Amino acid sequence: MTDPERVLVEGHLLECPTCRDALRSMESLRNLIKSPVEAAVEKEELPWVWQKIEREIRSEEKLSWWKGIWDWFDVTPLLRKRVLIPAVAVTVLLILLTAPLLFKKTSSYPGQSVVEYVESQTYNVMIYETENAKMTVIWLFEGPDQERSTS
Amino acid sequence: MRRAVFLIIPVFILFILSASIVFAQVQTRIRVVEASNVGSNIDSSLRDVTGQLGSLFSFSSYRLLRDETVTLSPNRPLSIPVHPGRSLELTLIRQRRHTAEVRVQIKREGTDILDTQVRLFPGRTVSIGGPKHGQGTLLIALSASF
Repeated sequence: MTDPERVLVEGHLLECPTCRDALRSMESLRNLIKSPVEAAVEKEELPWVWQKIEREIRSEEKLSWWKGIWDWFDVTPLLRKRVLIPAVAVTVLLILLTAPLLFKKTSSYPGQSVVEYVESQTYNVMIYETENAKMTVIWLFEGPDQERSTS
Repeated sequence: MRRAVFLIIPVFILFILSASIVFAQVQTRIRVVEASNVGSNIDSSLRDVTGQLGSLFSFSSYRLLRDETVTLSPNRPLSIPVHPGRSLELTLIRQRRHTAEVRVQIKREGTDILDTQVRLFPGRTVSIGGPKHGQGTLLIALSASF
């Protein structure tokens, strides 16, 4: 509202009781709305609002795991190559070395024979093997007259 | 610093793994025994062996002739004289977590009279017997610890 308009309105209000009453009722209505809104603004928990904002900022800052690993090296591309190539080579070597150890079938003696082979061109051979007694005997028979009897 | 650690740790693990393969060794106890029916003496250090053999053989005497613990390395034959003219040759073929595969050769005047390969488990004895010795019989008890 311009100043001449304001002068005109104020002059009219002095002369017109109807408009004065209308203005009065509008002012009371404005006060009625203004007070609760201001109170609500005053009561607003700003720290909570800040926390919310901060959380949003952090979630945007969170990097992917790959980018995280990549940044871990934090080196120039040339140096990165110098570090990565030996690291990858060592890792591959480790995998190759450990894989057979991890995946090989572990031998446990109950399922296996203790004697893998026996060869003798001059003697007859007897193998006696028992699991309970934890004993394996390879017996050489020197000849019919020298054989030892077994119980 | 972080890069150095990243490289040192795998190299260290690699070294440990390689060392365990290259330096695999098996402690093997060899007991040479004369078993006979002359007398009834049993050497106290042979109680474990005689306890096992007692159910199989009827010898009354077990005399310890030699008790030796040797360290076997992969593919390095180790020869031990067990009797005049006879020797025992042991070769560690390979070692696994709970077994050691050992080639055992008994030689008489340089010629193999027995060639066998056995798996040695901790706590289990492999005995080789039969050849005549004096008034009794020669027994060789092999056991491993690793």
